[in-house]
Amino acid sequence: MAKQSIVPFGPQHPVLPEPVHLDLVLEDEVVVQAVPSIGFVHRGLEKLVETKDYKEYVYIAERVCGICSFGHGMGYCQCLEKLMNVEIPPRAAYLRTIWMEMSRVHSHLLWLGLLADALGFESLFMQSWKLREKILDLFDATTGGRVIFSVNCVGGVLKDMDEGMLHSIAVTLSDMEQELRPIAEAFLRDYTVGTRLHELGVLSAGQAKSMGAVGPMLRASGVALDTRKLGYAAYGDLDFEPVTAKDGDSFARCEVRIQEIFQSFSLIRQAIAKIPAGPIAVPVKGNPSGEHFMRIEQPRGEAVYYVKANGTKFIDRFRLRTPTTSNIPPMLELLKGCQLADVALLILTIDPCISCTER
Amino acid sequence: MEHKHEPKTYPWRAFPFAGSVLKNLFSKPATTGYPFEPAHYPERMRGHVEIEIDACISCGLCARSCPPGALKVDRAAGTWTINRFDCVQCGNCVNVCPKKCLAIVPGYTAPAAQKSSETFTRPKAPDTPAAGKAGGKPENDAAKCVFCTLCAKKCPQGAITVDRAAKTWRLDADACVGCGVCAASCPKKCLTLK
Repeated sequence: MAKQSIVPFGPQHPVLPEPVHLDLVLEDEVVVQAVPSIGFVHRGLEKLVETKDYKEYVYIAERVCGICSFGHGMGYCQCLEKLMNVEIPPRAAYLRTIWMEMSRVHSHLLWLGLLADALGFESLFMQSWKLREKILDLFDATTGGRVIFSVNCVGGVLKDMDEGMLHSIAVTLSDMEQELRPIAEAFLRDYTVGTRLHELGVLSAGQAKSMGAVGPMLRASGVALDTRKLGYAAYGDLDFEPVTAKDGDSFARCEVRIQEIFQSFSLIRQAIAKIPAGPIAVPVKGNPSGEHFMRIEQPRGEAVYYVKANGTKFIDRFRLRTPTTSNIPPMLELLKGCQLADVALLILTIDPCISCTER
Repeated sequence: MEHKHEPKTYPWRAFPFAGSVLKNLFSKPATTGYPFEPAHYPERMRGHVEIEIDACISCGLCARSCPPGALKVDRAAGTWTINRFDCVQCGNCVNVCPKKCLAIVPGYTAPAAQKSSETFTRPKAPDTPAAGKAGGKPENDAAKCVFCTLCAKKCPQGAITVDRAAKTWRLDADACVGCGVCAASCPKKCLTLK
């Protein structure tokens, strides 16, 4: 047996976008085991629910993460709406769907840029993020914020989109689709990108299921599981099938995310075509009581929201299980047997969001 | 490390980014030339909170609803203070303001080396507020009241309970912020702020 050595990796490391710490047990250049420690960016946001009015907490829930902010606000609001038997107007459900899918495009383009950066492919990184900027501008025009939107409220949404705005979204998305094709081609056809990603970190469908992988990580292993198929918000009215790939390697994870961007474009177009007229919110009176679980599909995978209310305006417990929490065990499995140089790339392929995970 | 699988490539596309490079060389920059070119903000952009202090009644609902606690309202002194460095531009104060004297408008506030607060002072209120104007908590004249429940519906705090069947009107004095919205909305003018 070769001599083992331990290399501390992170929480601050030039190749890591997120503060996760791993102790890598190496034999020569090969990783034998990875021991994680997290907790560097814990902010205690779940605890705050006990001291803030439940309507006011929406603004805190969406600050759990800078990328999936819309989804966190929406998941929390959906929980309370179920608890208080509030039916949101159909237009609000469609608006939430449009913003949620725009968030997915923004998150996946961000990830593609980070992947290109990890590969040392700077121009591809620049092209991906340049394209992402268009989505951020759309967010700015429709919600008033580039990253934190503050448009969700218990009972619906706070801002409406007129015909002109919906049309401009459709036009911008068509342009983006054209611009995304050569970028997607570079990721999926380029020889250099392919040699770094193919057969790296293979996760079988069985492993993915047994270790609780979620989102694109699970679907890249061939398991067609997408929480959006539950039909929350307006997803029940839209036509789509989960994007899957069969190889389960890093390339498959990249492929799934790229195809999901195109799927999101299609979903937004469908939602714009079908959006009904009407109010965007219903007034909510009284305080919530009881407990509820809610699952939604965030860009990184399935997120679980739990609310336990006691009949006052302060909620007893809010719990959020983020997709990254579920994807860390499979990631540790993938790291076993990989080269030290591939560690950063493998961590990146789960699309980690540590600030979400630690809240 | 040897890869078993060779990715598919298009061998005739030797320079796949040559087109992008040429386009980027001869096209306008994707970014704007700020500060020489002014930044353009969309109409809905949440830049900073502004107050129309003349319309403010110091009810304090904005300060109570502010998630980061960036607002302070002093009823006695008639001041409204904002710490712009704590404000997260969520717009909750604007949503809860019963007098609609707050607005969130485009444009960022100037950077500064030190955190500071900005205070606005209300013009002095008349000594005896007229009915429908802010200045105290509502009292109901049961003889004139028709128990239409409009005041209860309009109350931003949900402090008024009206039972049409039992003909009762009740105020939760702790929850009431004295905004005067109830008195202003009363069709029979039976509410007086005292």
